Amino acid sequence: MKLPRGVRVDVLEGVRIALFSLKANRLRTVLTTLGIGIGVATLLAIVGIIQGLNTSFHRQLATFGANTLYVSKFPWAMKGDWWVYRNRKNFTMDQVTRLRSLAPFLSAISPTVQRVADVAYGGEQLSTVRIQGVTHEYLTISGYEVTAGRFLTEADDEVTRPVAVIGADVADGLFPGISPLGQSIRIDNRTFQVVGTLSRKGKIVNESLDLVVFVPFKSFYSSFGKGRGLEIAMAVADPTQVRRAEDQLVGILRRIRGTPPGLPDDFSINKPEAMAQTYEQLTGALYGVAVGVGLITLLVGGIGIMNIMLVSVRERTREIGVRRALGARKRTIVFQFLMEAASVSAVGGLLGTTAGLGTAKVVSLITPLAADVQATTVVGGVAFAAVVGLLFGIWPAARAANLDPVEALRYE
Amino acid sequence: MSDGSSAGKLIEVEDITRVFHVGGEEVRALRGVSFGISRGEWVAIIGQSGSGKSTLMNVLGCLDTPSSGRYTLNGKDVSRMSDDELAVIRNEEIGFIFQTFQLLPRETALANVELPLVYRGLPARERRERAKAALEKVQLAHRMHHRPNELSGGQRQRVAIARALVAQPSMLLADEPTGNLDSATGEEIVRLFEELHRAGNTLVLVTHEPKLAARCPRAIRLSDGQVVADGPGREVALGIGAAVMAAGGT
Ligand SMILES: Nc1ncnc2c1ncn2[C@@H]1O[C@H](COP(=O)(O)OP(=O)(O)OP(=O)(O)O)[C@@H](O)[C@H]1O
Ligand SMILES: [Mg+2]
Repeated sequence: MKLPRGVRVDVLEGVRIALFSLKANRLRTVLTTLGIGIGVATLLAIVGIIQGLNTSFHRQLATFGANTLYVSKFPWAMKGDWWVYRNRKNFTMDQVTRLRSLAPFLSAISPTVQRVADVAYGGEQLSTVRIQGVTHEYLTISGYEVTAGRFLTEADDEVTRPVAVIGADVADGLFPGISPLGQSIRIDNRTFQVVGTLSRKGKIVNESLDLVVFVPFKSFYSSFGKGRGLEIAMAVADPTQVRRAEDQLVGILRRIRGTPPGLPDDFSINKPEAMAQTYEQLTGALYGVAVGVGLITLLVGGIGIMNIMLVSVRERTREIGVRRALGARKRTIVFQFLMEAASVSAVGGLLGTTAGLGTAKVVSLITPLAADVQATTVVGGVAFAAVVGLLFGIWPAARAANLDPVEALRYE
Repeated sequence: MSDGSSAGKLIEVEDITRVFHVGGEEVRALRGVSFGISRGEWVAIIGQSGSGKSTLMNVLGCLDTPSSGRYTLNGKDVSRMSDDELAVIRNEEIGFIFQTFQLLPRETALANVELPLVYRGLPARERRERAKAALEKVQLAHRMHHRPNELSGGQRQRVAIARALVAQPSMLLADEPTGNLDSATGEEIVRLFEELHRAGNTLVLVTHEPKLAARCPRAIRLSDGQVVADGPGREVALGIGAAVMAAGGT
């Protein structure tokens, strides 16, 4: 095996000299390495944490279903003017019924109304449980699955039965080791009989989707009052036609709510997808700032490399003269110093990557945030650091190569 | 001066000048120097401090290029060569020996001697063998794994000579090679030069010691950037005989 002369002389010899010099200046190498390492670590930890955040958020959103729409007087992402939304008329059950007959493109539709309350069984009690009044169609819209018993039925609603279907957290919290089916739970001194339990859906951001109790819509009104506005959850029959369905809904809802032409809509059509967008705008800004901070740290590290390389060039002026006298070309000298800069940075990158991934891991262990880092990130981190080193090494290396050999040999 | 046929000459220097610009001033270190050196010759270059010896040496060694004039080395016009081409010439044609040895302090004697072969692009095994052979020639094979600071001055200069020899250059250029050595050690080095001369090497030696120049078969005296004498070492060193020219003449 014979490598081309250029590779042997420039690259291999460059790497050899670089490693030799790094070994000879251990302390200096470590300190320089730290600068770039901290930069890479910061950048990686931030990217890892934010990416993890996004991934888990999307995974959770996916459980909502891409074909679901939620209509209410409040938009999910409120931009100022809370009072404008507040003063809109509440939706009524009558409007839900009319919507059903006017919108055949919907495969399921359910009014929903909710509050937060304490739920008790025997001596056990759970606080801040979401109590939601829905009809039987809500099951397909929500994406929950029944793990035991049954979901709410049309009959439950018609005769205002005091029954409840409970989420996984409620089942685990109130009925450890026993079956909840047939048991009575108390919500605000009202008694509901558990008829079904639901599959686990996880958390969205920091809120559990399983700390929930579903009761028939009418039972909710009769137990907890009608004061609350309702939201309409619906599923579009054809998932590819969600956009069209939205457009049609606007017209139908305006008719139902008697909105005069020329006035703006007095309702909002909400989509889980839109929530993802607002969420991404939010984290996107955070991301930008954080990556900026990481890059600045890296820039500082890079300047550290440049500084140390200039020192190294100065220290080795005579050596450069000797090498030039013995036949080293400018290119060879450039390579020698670039390799040195790149290897210091690559070592820094390796340390930084390890530290960055470690930080992300620790964060994911002690907080609900899931850190999401792949093996490619490690390679990327090291390569990235090496490139930073190369960039900041160019100027010192060029200075070394452009030294006049005669002057360099005479340098004291 | 033996100004005959230029054919077969290793070095042909024609009317070379070297002008330095310092501040707004011109320093004319070489002012029209001409001579030739044949293969196998041993030539001393002498002259007072500041006469231009080192400047001439740097030009001959292709470390520096003349401001005007023509320099032919081994049949190649090197006065118009690019930086990369000059690096190759230095690597293949020239072996430098410096007053201050100029060894790389952190590398072993062996690694120092290998260096010219590294830049020639030889594989490591061959480099090692040839470097060992060169160190044997200067009787330092037993010290090849020592670093320069573990060697005496004379030993360091012998390592430097091995480094100059290892690539089998057309000529050896030595600028005051005994300048940093005591007289006994200096004598050792001079003996080594005599040996190298007998073995057929071409040697150019800068010195300010007339006694040393007198031992060389030929010497060139510089004064104020010009050749003022060129002939048998003894005559030039002592300033006698036909070798001495009128100042400014060529
Ligand atoms: N790089 C330079 N810049 C400016 N002037 C220079 C430079 N190099 C040499 N000179 C000048 O050129 C002249 C010749 O210098 P050179 O070093 O060749 O003398 P030398 O004969 O080697 O002297 P010495 O015996 O002291 O070593 C001197 O006047 C010197 O000051
Ligand atoms: Mg000199």
